[in-house]
Amino acid sequence: MSYCLLSAAPLSSTEWWPIVLPLIAGGAAIYLMLPRPRAYPVLWGAGLGLLALILAGVLLTRSGVVSPETILFWAFSAIGIASGTLLVTQNNPARAALSFTLVVLSTCGLYLLLAAPFLMAATIIIYAGAIIVTFLFVIMLAQQVGLSDADDRSREPLLATLTGFVLLGTLLFVLQRHDHRVNQSAAEIDQLIERTREVAAMKTPSAMQDGVGEPGGKDDLFRQFEQMYRDKYGWRDLAERVDRVMIAWTVTPIDAKDRGEEQLRARLSELVAIGEDAKHRLNWLPPAGTASLSHFSGAPPTTQAEQIRRDKTTGLPRMPAENAAYVGRSLFTDFLLPVELGGSLLLVATVGAIAIAFRRS
Amino acid sequence: MPPIPLHHYLIVGAILFALGLIGFLARRNFIIMFLCVEMMLQGVTINLVAFARYRGNLQGQVFTLFILTVAACEAAIALALILILFRRRRSLDVSLWQDLREPGEEATMDEEPLPPARRQPAMPQLTPSGLEPEHRPEESHV
Repeated sequence: MSYCLLSAAPLSSTEWWPIVLPLIAGGAAIYLMLPRPRAYPVLWGAGLGLLALILAGVLLTRSGVVSPETILFWAFSAIGIASGTLLVTQNNPARAALSFTLVVLSTCGLYLLLAAPFLMAATIIIYAGAIIVTFLFVIMLAQQVGLSDADDRSREPLLATLTGFVLLGTLLFVLQRHDHRVNQSAAEIDQLIERTREVAAMKTPSAMQDGVGEPGGKDDLFRQFEQMYRDKYGWRDLAERVDRVMIAWTVTPIDAKDRGEEQLRARLSELVAIGEDAKHRLNWLPPAGTASLSHFSGAPPTTQAEQIRRDKTTGLPRMPAENAAYVGRSLFTDFLLPVELGGSLLLVATVGAIAIAFRRS
Repeated sequence: MPPIPLHHYLIVGAILFALGLIGFLARRNFIIMFLCVEMMLQGVTINLVAFARYRGNLQGQVFTLFILTVAACEAAIALALILILFRRRRSLDVSLWQDLREPGEEATMDEEPLPPARRQPAMPQLTPSGLEPEHRPEESHV
């Protein structure tokens, strides 16, 4: 499988319009809402922003399933993005600081969905608790004499919006492109797995053998699997596993009643298992080498895709339940030196902040 | 039940990053610019934590902890610097410091005047300490 995200293949219209539509609406919304002396009506910007959010939710993050997890994901990301927009377009700094708190809180919700409860607590305490309060203090201390121009004007609103949204468009394009390819490959593997399941559902051994196809022929199921793994993706080990299953299939005696049928079904279910392994591999970058790396933070980067322990229902890698304990173990084994450096950095920053802000009378 | 694909989280991170970038470029208040940079950091941390989840490895979460540390240091230093700048010019406007621009760059001028009658921005104020409020004992219920 090639890991180059941007190939020379031209863009198809189904690929670009789900990206461009929300981008245009969002860009127009931000441009209209940025503070300026003669402001546009708030409703225009707000309506366009809402439209962009809904379009992005429907077109970009469509997953087809509505589960508590996806609803929470949509809610947290929508709140985060909406309050981020408020932060950018708000002309009152104190309110901007509060909407930044909302961004942090919804990000913490996403952390929780991503199995990082310790990080969620730490972020709420440090960001929402400490940093924002310091910001509010400075905002109140720096009470401006009279009205200032700074909050009611923006510098080059059009160019700034364009810059941001061109960057966003590029990022989204790369992400969509990669996702599109992975989906295509997964659909191809799914098709073969479906055929295997159909064959396994057949009644008699001879029907099953017919369903698998003539050995070496064009519609030989084993050969299709093997060629896909070996030639298209370069997964030699999976192709060899398919080979082994095929040999076992050919030597399976089908004369013995019932027993032969069950054995054939077992071979086919092995084939399905290999197919599921292959699907997990699609999103997995190849291991960087064979060096033995530390296991203290979880599976090291050199782990082969099939050696990861996965959750049966979701297919995601398993994460330890005691998140704080394992993050601590990772911090004090793999990252001991960075922890020490971080501590010194905090000390130096404290000294520096006091030295800078000291008022000489 | 299929899980949420990784790239949905990456999209949210990218959107937060881009919003922060726009805010940093367009806004002129020191504090709001700084908040926008913090929001860009939030977008990056979502990426790190999402990769940690989908790779089954805690290193992404540990990186995010370090980002938290650095962000705290950064906030302390930046706020101290903002205080100094504020004391010099009595304003948080970045454009007041445009003497520091490159030679050959044109100065930013505000041609359009602000509308005369504007609502008073509701800024919170710290109550001055040390002054005791007036007591009127006959109205006290204590």
